[in-house]
Amino acid sequence: MNLDEAKTILLLYRPGTTDPDDPEITEALALAKQNPELTRWLVEHCARQEALRAGFRKISPPAGLKEQIISEQAARGKTAVRRQRAVFAAMVAVVLLAGVALFWLPHRQSTDTYAVYRNRMASVALRGYGMDLLTNNPASVRGYLARNHAPADYVLTAPLDKTAVSGCAIEDWQGTKVSMICFRTGKPLPPGEQSDLWLFVIDRSRVKDAPPAGSPQFTQVNRLGMMSWTVGDKLYVLGTEGDEPTLRKYL
Amino acid sequence: MAEGVDFESLVACYYEPLYQFAFSLARDEAEACDLTQQTFCIWAAKGHQLRDPSKVKTWLFTTLHREFLGSRRRQTRFPHIELEQATAELPSVAPVTANRLDAAQVIETLACLDEIYQAPVALFYLQDYSYLEIAAILDVPLGTVKSRLTRGLGRLHQMLSGDTTVPGNQPPPPTS
Repeated sequence: MNLDEAKTILLLYRPGTTDPDDPEITEALALAKQNPELTRWLVEHCARQEALRAGFRKISPPAGLKEQIISEQAARGKTAVRRQRAVFAAMVAVVLLAGVALFWLPHRQSTDTYAVYRNRMASVALRGYGMDLLTNNPASVRGYLARNHAPADYVLTAPLDKTAVSGCAIEDWQGTKVSMICFRTGKPLPPGEQSDLWLFVIDRSRVKDAPPAGSPQFTQVNRLGMMSWTVGDKLYVLGTEGDEPTLRKYL
Repeated sequence: MAEGVDFESLVACYYEPLYQFAFSLARDEAEACDLTQQTFCIWAAKGHQLRDPSKVKTWLFTTLHREFLGSRRRQTRFPHIELEQATAELPSVAPVTANRLDAAQVIETLACLDEIYQAPVALFYLQDYSYLEIAAILDVPLGTVKSRLTRGLGRLHQMLSGDTTVPGNQPPPPTS
């Protein structure tokens, strides 16, 4: 080890620390004891090291820093507790709402049931409608409905088959086409009206709790009497202003 | 687990050396306070993850150093200037006064070192940390710490003594 190498090694030497445990420093210190120039350099170096160390340690934090750190952390802790409580409250609210929704949704009146469908068709007949096709020809009605992808393979009862047709329209029921076939009973029609008996035909699968096949069901919806029955995959609803016996004449 | 470490006791023990280290790096009282406070704040949030309580001090210094580096990456107000280019701006610390340095002079002198030397040199003097501990805090290899210390201290002593022959005052090697 020469002089320069020893100085380089001793740069890292701090008196009063465990640095002399380093074998290289031990060796450089031993050399310094034998070399007067290195001894002199080491004395100056150690003085500078001490001065630097003391200078660094004179850096003092501003008064109140410790208290500020502690108090701000305490405040953060309180804020965190408040936030946790708020989050907890929000979670409880969400769970409660979910519970209410789970309880309420199954009990909510479904909008795709037979009753809703029947009432909707009654309102179509009572509150005015526009016929898409005006014709007295039953085959034309069936053809028009088929071309427009509305139910056209309906089966008419014998009395209905003999009743005069006046036209048809296509209604919409929750995205499903409903064939509305309009008839004339033969009674005098109110001014502006062209039919007084209506048959609505829809795919039975699109209406929940539709009446099963078998005997027709009668229901009065406002002034409209309505008779419903199922044949095959079709649900039929026949309506007119009148009572049950009036409607039964067409079955 | 370090969960049992009391926060107030921890602050009382370490806020002063941490502030000294922060001030050595940032050279600004407000920023040093922020760094110190942020370090304890991170401890409060993540300190429980430290498994070995004997490493609390190292953890705190490492965290402070990372926070400092992070803040420096966000700031561009301290452009890097090579020491050789800034010789004219260096503080003139007369050799006769070198033995009576105050904190401001030390910090001014430290500021003249390249940034990569500042943290190891500050830790070297502030806490009498061993090279291994400094390497752990700065997350660099031991050899790199020794190399940076040698060069950093060489330049520091050169500035204080006015002696251009001080060892370690060679151009910096490629950073390892």
